[in-house]
Amino acid sequence: MRANFIFSEVWIGLRRNLTMTIAVIVTVAVGMALLGIGLMINSQVSTMTNYWTDKVELSVFLCQKDSAFETCKGKPTLNQTQKTQLQQTIEGLPEVAQVEYEDQKAAYENFKEQPNNKVFLTVIQASDLPDSFRVKLKDPDNSQAVVNALSGQAGIANIVNQREILDTYFGFLGKLQWMALGVAIIMVIAATLLIANTVRLSAYNRRRETGIMRLVGASNLYIQLPFVMEGVIAGLIGGVCAAVLLIITKILIFDGIQSYMAQPLGWDTLAGVITFTMVVGVVICILASFVTLRRYLRV
Amino acid sequence: MIHFDNVTKVYANQNRPALDHVSVDVEKGEFVFLVGPSGSGKSTFLRLVLKEERPNAGTIHVAGKDLSRLSNFKVPHLRRRIGCVFQDFRLLPKKNVYENVAFALEVIGKPRRFIRKVVPEVIELVGLEGKAHRMPEELSGGEQQRVAMARAFVNRPMILLADEPTGNIDPATSIGIMKVLDRINRTGTTVLMATHDAAIVDSMRKRVVELEDGKIVRDQSRGVYGQAY
Ligand SMILES: Nc1ncnc2c1ncn2[C@@H]1O[C@H](COP(=O)(O)OP(=O)(O)OP(=O)(O)O)[C@@H](O)[C@H]1O
Ligand SMILES: [Mg+2]
Repeated sequence: MRANFIFSEVWIGLRRNLTMTIAVIVTVAVGMALLGIGLMINSQVSTMTNYWTDKVELSVFLCQKDSAFETCKGKPTLNQTQKTQLQQTIEGLPEVAQVEYEDQKAAYENFKEQPNNKVFLTVIQASDLPDSFRVKLKDPDNSQAVVNALSGQAGIANIVNQREILDTYFGFLGKLQWMALGVAIIMVIAATLLIANTVRLSAYNRRRETGIMRLVGASNLYIQLPFVMEGVIAGLIGGVCAAVLLIITKILIFDGIQSYMAQPLGWDTLAGVITFTMVVGVVICILASFVTLRRYLRV
Repeated sequence: MIHFDNVTKVYANQNRPALDHVSVDVEKGEFVFLVGPSGSGKSTFLRLVLKEERPNAGTIHVAGKDLSRLSNFKVPHLRRRIGCVFQDFRLLPKKNVYENVAFALEVIGKPRRFIRKVVPEVIELVGLEGKAHRMPEELSGGEQQRVAMARAFVNRPMILLADEPTGNIDPATSIGIMKVLDRINRTGTTVLMATHDAAIVDSMRKRVVELEDGKIVRDQSRGVYGQAY
């Protein structure tokens, strides 16, 4: 097999179908980038789920003076012994693992520590934040029983389940992921059709050469390789473009989310995603080329 | 070298067979003319030898191999031992004479040193010395056909198939083409040539196989083209 012969054929073929080649490169790039983004969201969601599962808790906010909550209207705030009693009640529930009391000062400190709350700090004072119990559950999936048990208790303003907030957020990411994967599949189909068309055009343009090659006994592989290589090279260039897009996405979007969600998307994950999308892109190109060649290059 | 045994070929969507129970034996080193009116099955016969088409019935042996048992994978190796020349030359317009001939060796993976040695020899054999760097458009029809013959013969095939090689060439030039074919035949290569050219067949005095409606109606050694045409 003579490599320079094949490469010169490939180069001629790519140049002759320049517009089609560019179309293939763009579709492969966009399709593989979307596939990669889908995979990145997927890995982000699963690492974040793991990270948060043992950290989610119920916040039981207590009534304070002039509280706006319906359940507090017209009732006095709890005194120290009542608070201790309530804490014991909560600790007594079978689903509860641990209870911590967070007073106004501590709540304010916590609030200050979160970077995205800086704007609020100018208007919020410690007295604006209510006292609360931070309730850790034995099983984070089993929060409803605790909510039910506490709902009748006096002095409780409201109960916030952090998990519900996270679920909304994860649900949004999940939808984004499926949308990216859905569009990726459409792009993959488009890329397959484009490659099929490119190969058919190339086969037609070079029917003279391939006819002679067949006649003088060139092997099928030798005849088909330049066409397949055309697809592979277009696919590889598309894959490299997709990799660049994925790197940009990681830096601009995922690293931005990271400051809210604590778990960064690692470069190793990104490298895995890029490798996977490249392989998928090239395999699709090879398959599309071979299938088309079987139809248009009689052997 | 070529053995047809009761070979019948019916093309798809065609009710009349292109070849109808044809049996013929061509021995090594023979020169055989295949004659007959248009549509009598001459080209079909040559395509069957190359395994470009398969027979519907009968068996074909080429160089001792039963073609029906030859896997698709091995067909290229069969074709390396058979050279082909056509009426329309089939040269690559963007390659010069040398490159056109060398192409046949490049695509079957011959080493460059071998190519550089044998291509000039063959170009000389067909009488094109000094024209190796001409492009096909700078050659006459007869010269283009010589290039095609050089390409067909450069790998020293056992069999040379020629389908109306003089069909596009005037009678005077055709004589030169036939001289080259004769020269190739003298090296021991079996030559099978389909033709309509009565003058050539009559002057060469070689074996003549005549087809009509896909049947062999005459097989004559040292024959002539025949009166009917
Ligand atoms: N690819 C094909 N598909 C269908 N029918 C075909 C095909 N090739 C040839 N035929 C038919 O088979 C018959 C024999 O054709 P063939 O080409 O062998 O004749 P031929 O003797 O070479 O004629 P000519 O002298 O005009 O070249 C004809 O009736 C032709 O119409
Ligand atoms: Mg014919």
